[in-house]
Amino acid sequence: MDFLQLGSYTFSSHLILGTGKFSSATVMLEAVRASGAQLVTVALRRFNRDQPADDLFSPLRAVPGITLMPNTSGASTAAEAVRAANIARELSGSPFIKVEIHPNPQHLMPDPIETFEACRILAKEGFLVMPYIAADPVLAKRLEEVGCASVMPLGSAIGSGQGLATVEMLNIIIRESNIPVIVDAGLRSPSEAALAMEMGCGAVLVNSAVAVSDNPPAMAEAFAEAVSAGRKAFKAGLMSKSSLAIATSPLTAFLGAKV
Amino acid sequence: MTSLPDWLTYNRDSATLAAMLDSSLSTSLESLATESRDLTLRRFGRTMTLYAPLYLSNFCSSGCAYCGFASDRKTPRRRLEPDELRRELSAMKQLGITDILLLTGERTHNADFDYLLRSVDIAAHEMQRISVESFPMSIKEYRALADSGCTAITIYQETYNRERYENLHRWGPKKDFIERLETPARALEGGMKTVGLGVLLGLSDPREDALNLYRHVRYLGRTYWRAGISVSFPRLRPQTGGYEPPFPVDDHSLARMIFAFRIALPDVELVLSTRESAAYRDGMAGLGITRMSIESRTTVGGYHDLDNNEKGQFDVFDDRSAQEFCNAMRAKNIEPVFKNWEPAYNGPADGNSTILHPVKLQPCL
Repeated sequence: MDFLQLGSYTFSSHLILGTGKFSSATVMLEAVRASGAQLVTVALRRFNRDQPADDLFSPLRAVPGITLMPNTSGASTAAEAVRAANIARELSGSPFIKVEIHPNPQHLMPDPIETFEACRILAKEGFLVMPYIAADPVLAKRLEEVGCASVMPLGSAIGSGQGLATVEMLNIIIRESNIPVIVDAGLRSPSEAALAMEMGCGAVLVNSAVAVSDNPPAMAEAFAEAVSAGRKAFKAGLMSKSSLAIATSPLTAFLGAKV
Repeated sequence: MTSLPDWLTYNRDSATLAAMLDSSLSTSLESLATESRDLTLRRFGRTMTLYAPLYLSNFCSSGCAYCGFASDRKTPRRRLEPDELRRELSAMKQLGITDILLLTGERTHNADFDYLLRSVDIAAHEMQRISVESFPMSIKEYRALADSGCTAITIYQETYNRERYENLHRWGPKKDFIERLETPARALEGGMKTVGLGVLLGLSDPREDALNLYRHVRYLGRTYWRAGISVSFPRLRPQTGGYEPPFPVDDHSLARMIFAFRIALPDVELVLSTRESAAYRDGMAGLGITRMSIESRTTVGGYHDLDNNEKGQFDVFDDRSAQEFCNAMRAKNIEPVFKNWEPAYNGPADGNSTILHPVKLQPCL
């Protein structure tokens, strides 16, 4: 069996689902079930203990077989993210924390400096730290060094649906990484998720593409199948893409020639 | 007379918006609506974030010709004392509200900065997210508000036409056009995470005001790169004093403006209040607007004192209950979101950053 290993946790599904942006908690739960996801992320700011109808956390906790990964979306500094992570662990009991730090609440671009600092602290505090980052190979290694359970580089801007715009950087991150690389943000179609998995990603995280679809449960299932197919293809080993043309007059004919 | 800032007359990036706002050009309202809907859906999903206004005080020192609380109106004046404020907050919590906008008039000795700060402090213990729409303050005062749990300041320029502005604001501190114009920047320097901008539609040429509003948004975004910015589209409503808007904005023009702003600013929160009708708000949900007020009472004490027949700052148009409003959103496949913030993120935007950047960025025009 091929597992996604995050810290001491293993998951047979390689699809992680985001839970914002859905038209209702009911539709979101149907999509979670249809996706077969075993790890789902939910923003701490969408926890609402006072009002069950507005709360995303409690209905998710009631779904058997899934592990919750709270996220710090809304935090703009390391200090805020660390504070949020501790509240989230207290409320959810989950050791996972998806570190999302956006200095500007509009662009939703992750701040590498604050993210690094928050991850360093949270990993020391025993969290399974899953940082959302720009597709930066050096930052990915720095985060691995401080003990993150994975790195989650963006495929393209959140909610942009531009797919794997960062493919060159993702390939380097995957090649160099000893921890799972999870593409987070930007995926629009199942084929893009399959491609990410074929490239060697450990998992993909999808939210908008499913939530905004006309039929979120069906789209969630389509992503699950694509992720599974992409993963199998990666494990089986893709045929080489190289189609080297051989020059008619060999360029290396001089090698070993008699002098 | 202080001259206008460069950014207000600079049109580097407002040409596209100008074209979209021009109804005589070929871009049809329907094609703008489609583009606006798609962008909104991708970026914000099928959700609508809700908030409610809470009037702390209707004392005022200014004479805005269009306002029901202007200092020459006969409206009874009062302010909420701490116990009344707690009752008001408790009544709002019963409605499910977690995100509130605290309002006062212009600065007076009856409702001054200390009063506002105390009120923010009380509200921050009860609610998840606090914004303030009040008088212009100093950077130091904004920082104190941010420290007490206020995350956003709403401050409308009302109109960017200086001549009209000075005529409409007949007396009082609000008469100073430049002072008002510089206020959002001061709020951000004071560590506010978000500023809400807007023009009061009906006061002046709406196209000119929309373009200047956009320039203001872009200027603030380039200078204060961490800043969240939201844009509101308030249309003048009937109010005490009977002011007739000289530049009425019809439904189609307002829709065009909202779509154009969404396309020009895909990530910015766009706000529509209960000044608009239920049908108009329902129609706009999902097409560009991402934040709406609900259950608005525009009187001081309007939530816990339901027998209050006083006239508010303006007449609310969409007077549906939270439940009715939520049902209408759900029927449109949109989730109403009451809590979309976490107090763990309160505090000045630059206050606890890992590495401080004391250098203020200078816009390159």
